[in-house]
Amino acid sequence: MAQTNSERTTETFSGRPQGKSTWFASLDLARPSRRHWLGYMLLAPAVLLMIAFVAYPLFVSLDISFQNVGIVRFDQPRKPFTTANYEKLFTSPDFWNAVWVTVKLVVVVTTSCFVLGLGTALLVNNHFKGRPLARLLVALPWAIPEIIAVVIFAWLFDSSFGLINWLMIKLGLIGSPINWFSTPGAAFSAVSVVMIWKGYPFVSIMALAGLQSIPEDYYNAAKVDGANVWQRFIYITIPSLMPILGVSMILSMLWVFRDFSIIYTLTGGGPLGSTETLSIMTYEEAFGFFRMGYASAVGIITLVICVVVSRLMLHRAPENL
Amino acid sequence: MRRTPLQSLALYGAVIVICGILVFPIYWLFITALSQPDALRAMPPKFWPEHPNWGIFAEVLNDKPLLLWLKNSVLAALGAVGLSMVVSIPAGYALSRFRLRGGESLGLVILTSKMLPATLLVIPLFVIFRQLGLLGSLWSVILAHATLIVPFSTWMLKGYFDTIPQELEQAAMVDGCSPIGAMIRVVLPVSAPGLAATALYGFVLSWADYAYARTFLTSAQQNWTLNLGITTMRGEYISNWAIISAACVLATIPVLFIYLFLERYLVGGMTAGSEK
Repeated sequence: MAQTNSERTTETFSGRPQGKSTWFASLDLARPSRRHWLGYMLLAPAVLLMIAFVAYPLFVSLDISFQNVGIVRFDQPRKPFTTANYEKLFTSPDFWNAVWVTVKLVVVVTTSCFVLGLGTALLVNNHFKGRPLARLLVALPWAIPEIIAVVIFAWLFDSSFGLINWLMIKLGLIGSPINWFSTPGAAFSAVSVVMIWKGYPFVSIMALAGLQSIPEDYYNAAKVDGANVWQRFIYITIPSLMPILGVSMILSMLWVFRDFSIIYTLTGGGPLGSTETLSIMTYEEAFGFFRMGYASAVGIITLVICVVVSRLMLHRAPENL
Repeated sequence: MRRTPLQSLALYGAVIVICGILVFPIYWLFITALSQPDALRAMPPKFWPEHPNWGIFAEVLNDKPLLLWLKNSVLAALGAVGLSMVVSIPAGYALSRFRLRGGESLGLVILTSKMLPATLLVIPLFVIFRQLGLLGSLWSVILAHATLIVPFSTWMLKGYFDTIPQELEQAAMVDGCSPIGAMIRVVLPVSAPGLAATALYGFVLSWADYAYARTFLTSAQQNWTLNLGITTMRGEYISNWAIISAACVLATIPVLFIYLFLERYLVGGMTAGSEK
């Protein structure tokens, strides 16, 4: 019996439990016609967890965003439906400032992570002694918790005794120490530097994985045809890497979009809102000013932007993903 | 391809310079922790402490309940990883072995979970956990972290289970094992390295969290995690960078060790959900 089954459906379970009868066996979930039930049963706990603590909360926040509510309590009656939060949002200069800061940060950080990450990957992809060590070191910032990275850089950017001011004065880039966290432009640069340092290992690990999957033959064939280093890079390396680079681009953009810890603990969004991204604004409105309805509206808009942007990128490069 | 000596020199030079710049901040954290306070104010800076101050670790452990925070961080991470593994081992197994409707959309679920801003999700979770009476308890953080980990771990585990031939379970079932028994007694032992890598990846995700701990635990000092405690120290020891760095060193060492083991599995976790 088991034998014929396994011939018929080679990729599936076929063995019917014999001998000991457990309660599973008595339900006979191993029967081919029922085996899907077993699959769904195994999947159920994970799905239920995600529904209870992701999908349902998401629905709640959508609901909250349409109420004029400060601190939400389930034991109080629901406030009437209103679109006031969204109307307030679109006329608020703070919101548009946050959008602008977010876009700037996404562009600056993603681009830099790409240049740095791809460059590092190309370099480390060469064969040399100590390459495993170099690989290990290059991706190290990935393992450092964001909070710790913030402490390290807050000290490096310290206005009196920080290494960065010392180095920049030494190199003649600036005349006097910069007060990194009380000047808007400087604070933005400081946030960008921390995010780039924390974010580039992701791109370089991904790019390195991509580089190692390009067959050596491609390069050899191109060499036989007389392609130089640059041509091989443009016509072989870049096109082969495109799929993985597209994915990393989207993922690192989403990371910058959503990041909270780095900005919140480094600058708190200041000074003068110069580092206040949409994520920071959401949190501040909810837990700084206790305007949860308004905060949820900001968060929902952030989510919509994230979905639309990644959809557009996926759509533009469907074969890449 | 053979390189000329000059090319070799350029390559090694570039690698050393880049690695140096990228790793320097971590080096500087360790040096700062071990430096005497006056050495930190020296101009030009001292890049190597002449009299390393090992006592700083004892000092920070005396001053602040670091061990308590460490214990809380470990408990939160173990709880979140434990819960995630319990639900994602069967889920990953089901997705690997059964053709389920909707199973292909797992990649999409992960991608979507990467789009959800934590700052948005944290608002309803705050309300829900207060209603459940979990606010201030480590359980709130454990549940929240588990939702971060489950999509990744399910995906990674599905990948590992895919590499294990189905004949193994079929043989076990012919010998009288139930499907569940075959999974537990045959498949799981074989995939031990994959399980370990997945669990450690989840551990790192939980260890790095600040947003959830900040929101759910701020009012319950006895349940603070390391990240939460360290950020409050920054406000307190406004310019004593040595003692803050010492706390950071203690918080970093566990993940550095995990990273050494995990490095070769990193790509698996990072690319999770990127292939459709």
